[in-house]
Amino acid sequence: MTEKAEDRKPLLSKKIDRFFTGLADAWNFVRRFFKEVFVPPYEFKEVIHQCYRIGVESLPLISLTGFIVGIVFTNQSRPSLSEFGATSWLPSLISIAVVRAMGPLVTALIAAGKVGSSIGAEIGSMKVTEQIDAMEVSATNPFNFLVVTRVIATTLMIPLLVMYTDFVALMGSFLSVSANEKVSLTTFFVQVFESISFLDIISSVLKSILFGFTIGIVGCYKGYNSSKGTEGVGRAANAAVVMAMFLIFIEELLVLQIVNAIRAF
Amino acid sequence: MRGENKRSVIVGIFVFLGIAILVAGVLTLGGQQKKFVKAIQLKAVFDDIGGLQTGNNIWFSGVKIGTVRKINFYGDSQVEIEMNVEEEVVEFIRKDSKATISSDGLIGNKIIVIYGGTTLAPPVEDGDRLESVMPLDTDQMMETLQVNNENLVEITGNLKNLTSKLAAGDGMVGAALTDSLMAESFRAIVRNLDQASINSNRMIAELNKFTSKLNQEGNLFNDLVTDTTMANELKQTMESFKQTAANSEEMTQKLSAITDKFNDPNNSLGMLLNDPEFAETLKSTLENTDSATYNLNRGMEALEYTWPFNKGFKRKAKAAEKADN
Repeated sequence: MTEKAEDRKPLLSKKIDRFFTGLADAWNFVRRFFKEVFVPPYEFKEVIHQCYRIGVESLPLISLTGFIVGIVFTNQSRPSLSEFGATSWLPSLISIAVVRAMGPLVTALIAAGKVGSSIGAEIGSMKVTEQIDAMEVSATNPFNFLVVTRVIATTLMIPLLVMYTDFVALMGSFLSVSANEKVSLTTFFVQVFESISFLDIISSVLKSILFGFTIGIVGCYKGYNSSKGTEGVGRAANAAVVMAMFLIFIEELLVLQIVNAIRAF
Repeated sequence: MRGENKRSVIVGIFVFLGIAILVAGVLTLGGQQKKFVKAIQLKAVFDDIGGLQTGNNIWFSGVKIGTVRKINFYGDSQVEIEMNVEEEVVEFIRKDSKATISSDGLIGNKIIVIYGGTTLAPPVEDGDRLESVMPLDTDQMMETLQVNNENLVEITGNLKNLTSKLAAGDGMVGAALTDSLMAESFRAIVRNLDQASINSNRMIAELNKFTSKLNQEGNLFNDLVTDTTMANELKQTMESFKQTAANSEEMTQKLSAITDKFNDPNNSLGMLLNDPEFAETLKSTLENTDSATYNLNRGMEALEYTWPFNKGFKRKAKAAEKADN
């Protein structure tokens, strides 16, 4: 009886204990993912299915967002640059902004909202309706089938979506620049690539891989650990989006520091 | 099953296009930064590179031909720049070319500009060191500007003195500006000048009329100026004049010789002209001749009535009558 009482007694405080417990659970979840990802059976069909849902089905939304971001950012930057008579630098500015930051960030945030919530809700509802338990009983590894496939799909698809977003945003920017500054497509793209380096493209790809992984793993974790009931499903979906977005910003900040350190070196 | 296959194909296309965008971007970037082009290395040593960085562009005649590969310290405080330069433009860069640090636009990135070089020198080779020319330093520019400022202060000081003297009416210019009498004199001068210009205008108009008359066709002066045949004729006339003059001179000489001879009393004509004694003798001779001729006439008249000569005279008279009829 005393042992049980001691067990229930919080180490620091209930909240702090819960936070660290959650952190440990998340760490174990990630560790389990890396353990399971190399273990057969490999669910290729499910990976492709998830790629379709995450990548292809998100493309229209991502493209529209990227296009609008390109136009809006160009039009917002023009007055400031025209004060210095430097509107010819618009392509360079947009290129740096889109390739280095906006492309990956906008894509990741949109994907976190669309894909992260759907993964959280889907796995959460499966958890609530005990479908995961049923899979375990039927000798199917639910973690492998549900989590690994989705995380692989987000990790692969988000970088590709970032490529599309970059391209579409630059085309949107080109429309604005061409209409106002009468710049040809060739000149526009020459100026775009003049101001960026390989490091920018590499960091953009690596960052988007990290963002993709984060969206997938957070969505799956929140869904996999959702509490019972329909309310738990909703909370899981919401928490997946909020946590994924929060982590994306933190990662963006960290990656920026690392890339700047490499650039200075 | 068919739906799954279709979905796989769409995912494949999606992945392919995404990777294609990435590859196109990488290749364009590489092409623009000349990453995949064969290059040789050139070096240049500068005292100060003014913030030049690895990867900055190398320009030759306004064309990007490479990038800065490495920046090393050299000697005491100099900096050695290693440059990657495209192999295909190497033949145009000569060993006596120079390298300097410039800027891509007013506030753009630093660049290295290779310029100069003559065809007398061979093309550069891998590892060559170009002569470096220090760029115009902004500090030096500011120093020059400071000197200019000081000069400007001195000039404005002088100007101030000058204008104060002018205002006080000192000197000729000052007097011109302030003295009313001088101003009146100036006005008179200007009036005279005005009148003179009117007169000169009138004169020019007259001259115009005169020259237009001269220019009319058929006018001697116009012909003289415009008629080319006349010039030739004039030339020929002048030649003839020349010839005539030469002949006249010769004739004059001859006449002179003749008159000399006339003056010489040793010859018959000279004696006739110059010897008074001879003249007197000649006069008496002529008088004698005159009287002899008179006597001869009288003898001839007498002969007309003298036989047998009278018959001859009569026949002559009859023949003359016949001829008249």
